[in-house]
Amino acid sequence: MTLDWLDAFLITGLFEVVMVIGLALLLHLQLGLARIANFGVVGFWGIGMYVFGVLYVQVDWPFGEPWQFLACAAAATVVAGLAGLLVGWLVADLDTDGVLVGTLGFATAVQILATTQDDLTGGARGMGGLGFPYDIGRVKDNEFLWLVLVTAVVGAILLYVWRVHRSPYGRLLIAVGSNEPLARSLGKPTFRTKLWLFAVASAAMGFLGAMYGVMVRFLDVGNLGVGVTLAAMVGLVLGGTARVWGAVVGVVLTVGLFDIVIQSYLPLPREWYTQAIPVLREAAFGLTLMVVLLFRPLGLLGDMRRDRLMGKIHGR
Amino acid sequence: MEFVTQSLVIGLTENAPLILAAIGFALLYRLTGLINVAYSETITLGAYFGMWINTTYGLDFYAVLIPTGLLAGVLSVATYLALFRPAKQRHVGGLEMIIISFGLSIFLRHGLQFVFGYPERFYDVPPPDTIMVLGVGVTSFRLLALVAVAALSLLLYLFIQRSGYGLRIRALASDEALAQVSGIRPLVVTVMIWFIAGVAGGLAGAFYGVGASVSPLLGWRQFLLILMVALVGGSWGLGGVILVGVGTSVALAAMALQLEQVLYAQLVLIVAFVIVLKIRGSRRAETAKV
Repeated sequence: MTLDWLDAFLITGLFEVVMVIGLALLLHLQLGLARIANFGVVGFWGIGMYVFGVLYVQVDWPFGEPWQFLACAAAATVVAGLAGLLVGWLVADLDTDGVLVGTLGFATAVQILATTQDDLTGGARGMGGLGFPYDIGRVKDNEFLWLVLVTAVVGAILLYVWRVHRSPYGRLLIAVGSNEPLARSLGKPTFRTKLWLFAVASAAMGFLGAMYGVMVRFLDVGNLGVGVTLAAMVGLVLGGTARVWGAVVGVVLTVGLFDIVIQSYLPLPREWYTQAIPVLREAAFGLTLMVVLLFRPLGLLGDMRRDRLMGKIHGR
Repeated sequence: MEFVTQSLVIGLTENAPLILAAIGFALLYRLTGLINVAYSETITLGAYFGMWINTTYGLDFYAVLIPTGLLAGVLSVATYLALFRPAKQRHVGGLEMIIISFGLSIFLRHGLQFVFGYPERFYDVPPPDTIMVLGVGVTSFRLLALVAVAALSLLLYLFIQRSGYGLRIRALASDEALAQVSGIRPLVVTVMIWFIAGVAGGLAGAFYGVGASVSPLLGWRQFLLILMVALVGGSWGLGGVILVGVGTSVALAAMALQLEQVLYAQLVLIVAFVIVLKIRGSRRAETAKV
């Protein structure tokens, strides 16, 4: 199959969109259902990326691809999950302010460790040496296949989130988000539920980080800024925090607009792409968060279907 | 003994802006209940305002401080009137308020680059004098920052605890409805709180900026520490914020002297603060269970 019709920018743009959709879906479970504001998405994603990178580059594995990738990605997922468990334990019984400090603090800690442990991570110089777990020809072909694989992973996350919405566990998350003391008084294990939520969501974020590391093949501490959390959050808020498809619609309209439409199709001066467009992108994301929460707090897709149904039944 | 003296002098002079910013943030948090993430940009813009006045009008650093504080105060009030007040009137929830302030923070941080330019900027000031304090060399700017923090902290403390306006502010914070029927005008008092917090943040930014460089991430890099100092110390009022701020500043300097990387000091403090919040939060949760 020839991929000459496909622009290399389009592949990386689509990869970015799909990856952020995955992060936004996981954030949806935390923010949309359980009302936990995880401002440290980049920390869990970043720890997965760096654990994967360090193991892949620094360890002399006795076996080749794809087992090397699978072993490193599995370790990255487990470490991110354990980190989620720890952060979850720290913040699960704190109010929103405490959750903000805990999650933001964790993201900062990951950034500090990635910067200071330069023997392992390359520090501010960055770390190369990562590669695809296969070789099917040109770089573009490898990248396209990786895009297909990450799409499959995000598809699985979408299916999981969709099933959570319709499961007793999902209803428990909604109960925790709506009125935690009431849920606890009814005998529901709210603390354990939050821990499990943090562990699973963080592990999946870590796996997405590992997949991102393979795609870019060079780890840079600059990627551990607030941009990743912002992209996931703005997409989710614009689409609708309460709806499964909110994350998909919102990320396509925000990250898709900038990383695909503007990057690949708008005939803008070349020098704009180095500074003006990235700065404009982030400013526009910030503005979108404010405008949406002020004028349409439930996002484009609105409230949950079950809330609408209950509203109709009760004449609201 | 030398280590203790060095930690005290370096900690207090280098991190004085942290204490000032934490006081402003805590004032806003304690009296309006809002975690304003965009406060980091009040600090950043304070640094930019000071640099702009300094380089455009050729004023020296000391003369720059008053207009910088006023501009940052006005900016702070403008964000309240244009964004947070309408959000409150629309009954936006607490969690959404934090996300709105996060959005404002991102918007201001990147928007200011279209006004002031992308590269790092510097104050145009002569090299500061070095003054020996307890055997440690300190620049005049840093010493001024410490004096300003001490004076402003005292003024704020007296203003909040002893003045009629301070009484109104405290009354509004404890029960807005009751304060309103008692004849207190919430808008005037709230605007005053936002203005004072803005002035404190802007001045902190100017002190940070003159000590190094002015960049869009200046305030954001300090925000987590400010937030933690305000949350942990805020339980004991403004005095608590000052005490925890002083302790944090000295601890940062002491660890920076001992550890090979300054960033490790921040890491240790982040862990320590989160553990304190965890212990305190768990106790609250246990009380709530009862």
